Amino acid sequence: MTKLALRLLRHRPGSATATLIALTLGVLILMAMGSLVDAGLRHQPAPQRYAAADIVVARTEITFTDKEFDGETTTSRVRLPEPGTVPAALVNQVRAVPGVTAVATIPSTRPGQVEAILVKAGPEVDRATLDRLAASASARTFAASARGRAESSAATTALDLLVQVGASFGGYVVLLVIFVVAGLIGLSVRHRRRDLALLRAIGATPGQVRRMLVAEAGLISGVAVALGLPAGLLATGWLHGELLSRGFVPASVPIGPSPFAALAAALLITLVAMLAVVVAARRATAIRPTEALGEAAVEQSKPGMVRAVVGVVTLTGAFSAGGFAAGTGGMTAITGALGMLYLFVTAVALLAPWINSGAARLLAPILTMFAGTSGYLAAANLRANSRGMATVLTALVLSVGFGGSVWFLQDNLQRATVTQTRDGLLAQQAIAGPADLDEVRNRPGVTAVTGVRHTSVLIKIFDSAEPVSARAITPAGATDTMDLGVVQGDLAALAPDSMAVSELQASSNNWKVGDRPEIWLGDGTPARLRVAAIYTRGLAFGDVILDQRTLAPAPFDEVLIRADAPIPGAVPVDALTSQLATDMATSAWLNKLLVAVMIGYAALAAANAMILAALARSRELATLRLAGTTRRQVGRMVNAEQAALLGVALAIGGVIAAVTLTVVVHALTGSFLPYVPPLGWAAILGGATLLAMTTTILPVRRLLGVPAVKALGSRE
Amino acid sequence: MSTTYAVRVEQLVRTYRSGRETVTALAGVDAGFARGTFTAVMGPSGSGKSTLLQTAAGLDRPTSGRVWIGDTELSRLSETKLTKLRRDRIGFVFQSYNLIAALTVRENIELPLRLAGARPDRRWLDEVVERVGLGPRLRHRPAELSGGQQQRVAIARALAARPDVIFSDEPTGALDSRTAAEVLTLLRSVVDAYGQTVIMVTHDAGAASYADQALHMSDGRIDRALAPVG
Repeated sequence: MTKLALRLLRHRPGSATATLIALTLGVLILMAMGSLVDAGLRHQPAPQRYAAADIVVARTEITFTDKEFDGETTTSRVRLPEPGTVPAALVNQVRAVPGVTAVATIPSTRPGQVEAILVKAGPEVDRATLDRLAASASARTFAASARGRAESSAATTALDLLVQVGASFGGYVVLLVIFVVAGLIGLSVRHRRRDLALLRAIGATPGQVRRMLVAEAGLISGVAVALGLPAGLLATGWLHGELLSRGFVPASVPIGPSPFAALAAALLITLVAMLAVVVAARRATAIRPTEALGEAAVEQSKPGMVRAVVGVVTLTGAFSAGGFAAGTGGMTAITGALGMLYLFVTAVALLAPWINSGAARLLAPILTMFAGTSGYLAAANLRANSRGMATVLTALVLSVGFGGSVWFLQDNLQRATVTQTRDGLLAQQAIAGPADLDEVRNRPGVTAVTGVRHTSVLIKIFDSAEPVSARAITPAGATDTMDLGVVQGDLAALAPDSMAVSELQASSNNWKVGDRPEIWLGDGTPARLRVAAIYTRGLAFGDVILDQRTLAPAPFDEVLIRADAPIPGAVPVDALTSQLATDMATSAWLNKLLVAVMIGYAALAAANAMILAALARSRELATLRLAGTTRRQVGRMVNAEQAALLGVALAIGGVIAAVTLTVVVHALTGSFLPYVPPLGWAAILGGATLLAMTTTILPVRRLLGVPAVKALGSRE
Repeated sequence: MSTTYAVRVEQLVRTYRSGRETVTALAGVDAGFARGTFTAVMGPSGSGKSTLLQTAAGLDRPTSGRVWIGDTELSRLSETKLTKLRRDRIGFVFQSYNLIAALTVRENIELPLRLAGARPDRRWLDEVVERVGLGPRLRHRPAELSGGQQQRVAIARALAARPDVIFSDEPTGALDSRTAAEVLTLLRSVVDAYGQTVIMVTHDAGAASYADQALHMSDGRIDRALAPVG
C-alpha cells in the first residue's frame, strides 16, 4: 500500500504539497518552542551567592495537595515569585546531620527565618536525612549544578519565562496545526473521491484504502520532519538572538539545538497528521464504489445531526468561556482569549455546511442582481458545494478571527495600562528607587509621600495557585498620591491585616469587602487578609495592594511624592509613564511575534485551502464553458462566489474577533469599547481580501487558459 | 442448481431517497445468467439497468432481494468480504475513468492482484496482454492512450484475476463506432476463447448484437425476459 500511496502522491502533488507546507511549518514552530521549554527546564544557572556551599537548603516552591472526588490526591507545585524562607530553627538540626562539616545562613528580613542554609559537607553526608529535614520545612536540598536553581536571579526568572512562553504557545500551535492539517487532509480526500471509488470498485477493501491514506500521511509527515527540523534549528537560533538582544534572557542562559525538542516536534506533528488522516479516512471508507461509475444516481450524504448539536454546544461554550478566560491578567489573558477564539472557530468549522448553504440562499438575490447569470451560478455553486467549501470558510474565519482579536488585545492592554497609570497617579513626582520617606516628607511643599514595592502574591485557582502582581505601600496618605479608582470600601482602611484587590480579582474569586480570603505572600508565607477596598485600576497598580508592613522589610522600588515644589532626586511622573510604555512595548514584542506567527500560519492555511479548492474545479469549469458560458462569465462567477465567501468569512470572523476582544478587554479594563487602531482594520480587511482573491483568481485563470475539451478529459 | 449460473438475482429491489421522495430504481427483478454467456442488458436511460448491474456486481447493496455470484449469496457479506469477493471473482469495465492515472498500463492491470496480495500469474497475464493487443504499451500511462486503448487495458485488468464474471457498463459509450466494434469483438472473443461470462449494460442495439442473449428493462422491471439475440 505504501508503494501505491507514493505513486498516487507523485501523480497528484498539489494537495500533498499543501499538507507538507502546513506540517513543515508546524515542525519548525514546535521545534523552536520546544527548544525554549527544554532550555528553561534543563539549564542549570551557575550559583552566585550560594557558590561556596556544597548543598543548599532553600524553599523555592509552594505545594498544593488536593483531594479529588474519587479520593485520589493531586499535587501541584508553583514556583514562589520571591525567595522563600526556612525556619532558623532548622539550622541546628542541619548542623547535626552526619557528614555536615560547616553551616552558614543567608539571612532573611523575616524574623525567625533564614533565606537559605548553606551546607559544607563531604561526600559521605547523609543526604536522606537532609532531604527529610528540608521537606519538613516545605524546602528542598540543592547540590552540585542544581544550586543555581535555588537562587532567585535574572537567569531563573528567564528560565520560568521560557517554559511558560514555550509551553503555552507551543500548545496553541499544536491546536492550530490540528485544525489546519485536518482540513487540508480532509480536502485532499474529498478531491480524490473518484480515484478512491475506482480503487474500491476494482477490489481495494475499506481497510486498504484507509491504510493507503495513512501511509500517504506518514510519508508526508516524514518529509515534513526532515525539512522542518533543520529549519526549526535556524528559527531557534534567530529567536535566541532576538531574545538576547531584547533582554528577555541573559547571555548566561543557552538556548541551543535541543534533541528533545526535535523529537517532541517530530512525534507531535506525525501524531497530528495521523489523527487527521484517521478521521478523514473514516469518511473515505464511506465512499461507495459506484461513485466511480459516475452515471447512476448517487445519494448525497447529508451532514449529520450530531455535527449540528456538537457545533451549537461548542458555540455556547465559546460565549461562556469568555468571562472565565478573562479572569486572569496579562499574558494569561491573551492565552485565555486564544482559547475562546479556538472554541468559536471550532463551532464555525462544525457548522460550516449550514452556514455556507444559509449564506448562499441569503445572498442569491444580491449576487444575481450584481453579477447576473454569473451571480446566479455562483449562488448555486455555493449552495451545492457547501460542505466542500467548509474548510475554506473555516481557514478564512480563523485568519480574520486571529488577526482581529489577539493582535489588538496586546494594543488594548498596553493602552489601558498607560491610561490607568496616567489617570491614577496623583503624585506629580517620583523617585525611582529607595529613599528615606520621613526625610522627603519633611521637605517644604510636600503634602504626601508613598513608598511602593513591586511584589507578587499567590492566589488560589482551582487546585493550584497563580502569581498575581501586587504592590506593597505605606498606607498613610496613599489616597493623596494614587487614585486606584476605589469602587467599594476605603483604601485609607488598609492595615497590616488587610489588602485592597482589583475588581478583576474580586469578581473572579467572588470576594467582597470584609471577606478574609487566604493568599500567599511572594515568599510563600500564608496570610489571611481582610478585603479593605476593591478598585478598578488593576492594570496600572497591580491586582493586590498590601500594607508594606504585611511583608518582610525590604527597600522601596519607587517613592511617589505629592509636592508643589521640585524635590531633588525626583523626576516628574510623566517620565515614569513614558518609561512604562517603552517597557511594555519591549515585553509585548515576544507576544506580538508569536501571535504574528500564528496569524501567518492561519493565513497560509487559508491560501492553501483556496488554491486547492480552485484547482479541483477544472472539470466543472470546463463543463460550464462547453455548455456555452463564456470565459468572462466564468471569471465573474468565480469572483462572485469568492466575494460571497469572503463576505461571510469577514462577517463571522469580525463578529468572533469583536466578541472575543470585547469580553476580554472589558474584564481587564472595564471598558466595553476595545481600541482598534484604524490601520489594523485596514490591514485585516485588505489582507483577507487580497488573500481570497489572489489564491482563487490566479489558479482559475490558469484553468481557463486550458482548452475546455482538454480539461474535461483530464482528472479532477 | 444455482451453480449453473454465474450470477443470479432474486426479487431485487433498490430504492433511493431523493429529498423527500423515494425513487424506485429496481422494482423486483429476477434473472439468472448462465456461465460462459455474453448477455446484453438493454433499456432506456433511467430504466434501472445500471442499478441492476451495480447490485448484481456487489458494488451497491439492494434494498431487498438476494444476489448470488456462483453459489455465494452477497446480502450477508461484510463490506470487506464483499470487496474481496469482487476482487477475486468479478471483473469490471466501466464507460470511462477506468484507470488510475498515476499507474502505468501494466500496474493498472496488476492492481487487483496486488490488492489481493496474490502473485501475478505471468503466463496468464502475458496471454491476456497479447489478446488485448497492448504489448508495446505496457509502460505507458493512461493519459498517453486513446479511449479504445484505455478500454482494452480495462478489459485486460478485468481478466487478470480469471473472474467468474465480467460486468461492463456502457463500455463503448465514449468511443467512436470503429473503436467500439474493436472493443466489442474483444469482449466477444474472451467469451468464446475462455468461456468467460460477460454481462454488459448498453442502450445501443448495435453493441447488443455482439451478445448471445439480451434482457430489456424499463421502469425498474424486466420488460422482455432473456432471449437470444438474433
